[in-house]
Amino acid sequence: MGKYILKRCGYIVVVFLILSFLMYSLYNLIPTDPARQELEPQRKALKADEYQVLYQQLRKQMGLDDPLPVRYLRWMGLWAKPNGEVSGMVEGNFGYSNLYKRNVVEVIKTPMANTIFINIFSTIASLGITIPLGIYCAVHKGKRFDSVTQVVTMLGYSIPVYIIALIFMFLFCVLWRVFPIMGMKTPGMEYQNGWQEFVDMLYHIALPVIVMTFSSLGGMTRYVRSSMIDALSMDYIRTARAKGLKEKVVIYSHAWRNALLPVITSILGWFLGIFGGSVIIENTFSLNGMGKLYWQGLNNLDFELVLAIQMFYSVVSLVGSLLIDISYGLVDPRVRVDK
Amino acid sequence: MKKILAMLLAMVMVFTMASAVAESTSEHVLIYGTSTEINGDFAPGSWWTNNATDKMLRDFTNDYSTVTSDQGGALIVNPTVAESVEGKMNDDGTKTYTVKVKSGLKFNNGEEITVKDFLWTTAFSCSSVASEVGAKLTGYLTIVGGQEYYDGTAETISGLRMLDDNTIEVSIVADKVPYFFDLSYANFTAHSMKYWLGEAVDIKDDGNGVYFEGLTKENIEKQLEYARFNAGPDRVTAGPYNLVEFDQASKQATLEINPYYEGNFEGQKPSVPKIVITRAEDATWRDALKTGAFNFYDTITDGEQVNQAMDLIEDEANKEALGYGFAYTQFDRPGYGKLMFQSDFGPTQFPAVRHAIAHLLDRNEFANTFCQGWGGVVNGPYGTAMWMTQESEEWMDENLDNYAYNPDLAKELLIEDGWVLDENGNEYVEGVRYKEVTEEQAGQYVHTKKLDDGRILMGCEIEWSSSEGNSVSDLLSVMLANGEQTAAAGIKINQNIMSFSELLNYMYRDATQGDKYGVPTYCMYNLASNFTSTYDMAYSYTLDPQMVADGYNTDFIFDEELDKLSMDMVYGVEAGDNATYLDIWQKFIKRWNELLPEVPLYSNIYISVYPDWLQGYEQDSYWDFNQAILYATIAD
Repeated sequence: MGKYILKRCGYIVVVFLILSFLMYSLYNLIPTDPARQELEPQRKALKADEYQVLYQQLRKQMGLDDPLPVRYLRWMGLWAKPNGEVSGMVEGNFGYSNLYKRNVVEVIKTPMANTIFINIFSTIASLGITIPLGIYCAVHKGKRFDSVTQVVTMLGYSIPVYIIALIFMFLFCVLWRVFPIMGMKTPGMEYQNGWQEFVDMLYHIALPVIVMTFSSLGGMTRYVRSSMIDALSMDYIRTARAKGLKEKVVIYSHAWRNALLPVITSILGWFLGIFGGSVIIENTFSLNGMGKLYWQGLNNLDFELVLAIQMFYSVVSLVGSLLIDISYGLVDPRVRVDK
Repeated sequence: MKKILAMLLAMVMVFTMASAVAESTSEHVLIYGTSTEINGDFAPGSWWTNNATDKMLRDFTNDYSTVTSDQGGALIVNPTVAESVEGKMNDDGTKTYTVKVKSGLKFNNGEEITVKDFLWTTAFSCSSVASEVGAKLTGYLTIVGGQEYYDGTAETISGLRMLDDNTIEVSIVADKVPYFFDLSYANFTAHSMKYWLGEAVDIKDDGNGVYFEGLTKENIEKQLEYARFNAGPDRVTAGPYNLVEFDQASKQATLEINPYYEGNFEGQKPSVPKIVITRAEDATWRDALKTGAFNFYDTITDGEQVNQAMDLIEDEANKEALGYGFAYTQFDRPGYGKLMFQSDFGPTQFPAVRHAIAHLLDRNEFANTFCQGWGGVVNGPYGTAMWMTQESEEWMDENLDNYAYNPDLAKELLIEDGWVLDENGNEYVEGVRYKEVTEEQAGQYVHTKKLDDGRILMGCEIEWSSSEGNSVSDLLSVMLANGEQTAAAGIKINQNIMSFSELLNYMYRDATQGDKYGVPTYCMYNLASNFTSTYDMAYSYTLDPQMVADGYNTDFIFDEELDKLSMDMVYGVEAGDNATYLDIWQKFIKRWNELLPEVPLYSNIYISVYPDWLQGYEQDSYWDFNQAILYATIAD
């Protein structure tokens, strides 16, 4: 097992390097001049000579006149920057955000915390609803409740999340005024203590969490249901029932444990997904999360920020797939992961 | 199963409890919704970033400037801060300003403001350390001795003096004066040197000009980084409000009145005790206003959105539900949306074609449709709020061509200009008009052809570059490019939709981004321009090839008179000589109107929506929220 994990880690490093070069090259293919872009808003305020001086300074600082491999190696931290400093991904410097004029790590910190905070609630709520619902529908396959659930989950699965968000916003915020329409904090609120602040934050993320949960019900419910139906049709279930075991024991101890095998990859995938923000939800509810940051980075051509986010997600995906493979071996003794 | 259900129930309870706890906010907090999210960089000026909301927060918290602008945007000496500001021309062509700052002014922490606090930012802009820390400052190009200090060949900045505890003297290099707005050179704003640069740095003047002691990247970098992003009670500023909090997680900033503030240039102090700045989303701003998520929405620009806001203002049921209603203030946009031509190639190099296109578009109808009644049309590069415009209304009526919708005239203009052939060089009957051109006029434009008899023809086919997702482009496509009148006149306009950055590459002909961008390709663009209160068009129509290559004169119109007028308007007029400035401005506008390098499409009327408990709030084109709010009061 240890040898297998080491080998996979080696692959991860190779894939990461190839991916990083491809991504970096791809972004550099986009015809844009970061120095000009940076100065564009100030063009009117600067006199011609001032503009020219600043423009040349910026090009030099950004190393824009150097060839692509050199810029890539600088970004990776394997080549000295124009100021002589060697600092890049390898050294833990994930780049500099041109939009925020700060190190990317500093920029990402708060949105990442927000996204994880929101996604944890959403993931727990989704799994808490979909797994029991899927099991119940599988056990009561073909009954009215199952049919209604199939229709409702199909609807939830089919309607785009931004439509769900806008409908929920209208109902809960504008019509009934139960939840706030946006943000993560009541403006002007003076909190007496940290708990009050935490509760206010919960209040603000409640509707986004509900929307995220609602829109994710369809997929997992149907997945659990079909997996459970397969498991319930197995011979060992008939045997268990023939042995006179209670139905609850048959469902949860025999069927569910076996149905869990294909579901576990999705569940792990969901937990890994807590790092990834939702562009639509965060923008609609004005939440300062990773999805929104990523969107802003793209819109403002802040490529070091976007690259850092994408490389982070690449690592999460690579490590995630390794974890999923290992977990297969752990939950299913028939699968050996040491080859 | 039971455990899971119990957990879900607990979550619901927590959320419900949260809604109960979070209901109460204190009354009369002005919650300002902004479509530009706060970045959180509060450095002076735009040293690093140029985010509009960050700038507003900076202006709220740093207002002690020796020179400021009044309600009309005119530069004036700020009597609250400056005892006197005097300027004199020197024999060597330089100009020296002597600025005496008032004593007794205090920062928000109660510390007295010294002359060094006014001086250091200007001196810093002459230091190479500013560049080392990434600040975009070019003061050394303006101040006598600045370049030498920056290069390290001089120990002091000879043109910047600290004469005594209250007096600053600054000398401006000869090639930057006279300048109509040169009062701006005498502007010094108070920023705590200790807060920004730390204890290790000092600024001195031994009689030969000011210089820094201890100013190194290592000495200041950490403190500067902290000072830029810090918000809270330890942030040292001097403006009407203190930035008491910036919540990174929610991107909300909270401002409270600075008790040490002595007032703006009119001695006006704020009375709205607390202002919260929060993000507004384009998709939900109306519902956010309606539900009280914020109660102030600044500068609504789109006609449809303005109408939505008006509906909300008239919504009595919502007023009852919310406990307060809304009011609004309206003001003219200091700029316009436009069709910009590149006038050195293709059909648009001929003024007649530019004029014909203007006559083919019903601009009044266009403005009315796009702005939904909240906008109008201008006939030159000006905004209706400018004092020059207001003083020239009659003159403009008499002297400017308004290029009224007239397809017949457009056709006549084209015929007069020689667009009388078809693609085979025969007499024009229908389709796209052609004109015989020289090889130089033809250039590399795609719609040119050489006939067997040696004649070179150019088709009146305009390649138009428009950015994606642009509603102005959509309307232009319907009303101009695909309009029957355009085809009937013999003009064909091909719309090419692209990303904005690609549009800029073509517009600037930026070959560094790819060889194709260096080739003149699109002769028409739709963009927008806004004018600052310091109307300075210098270099915008330059003939200097290097400056054109650097991105000045994006209209690529090379007219000596226009260039000269644009330069003389600011560099040929002494500050305060408004009559001469106005005279040159009118000549400039007239020449521009004749050449028509751009067709102004619409100039919006903006509105800002505010709660009806706010009284006396009056915003204007050059009088922003942070200035206007000082005069507003809260109703009983």
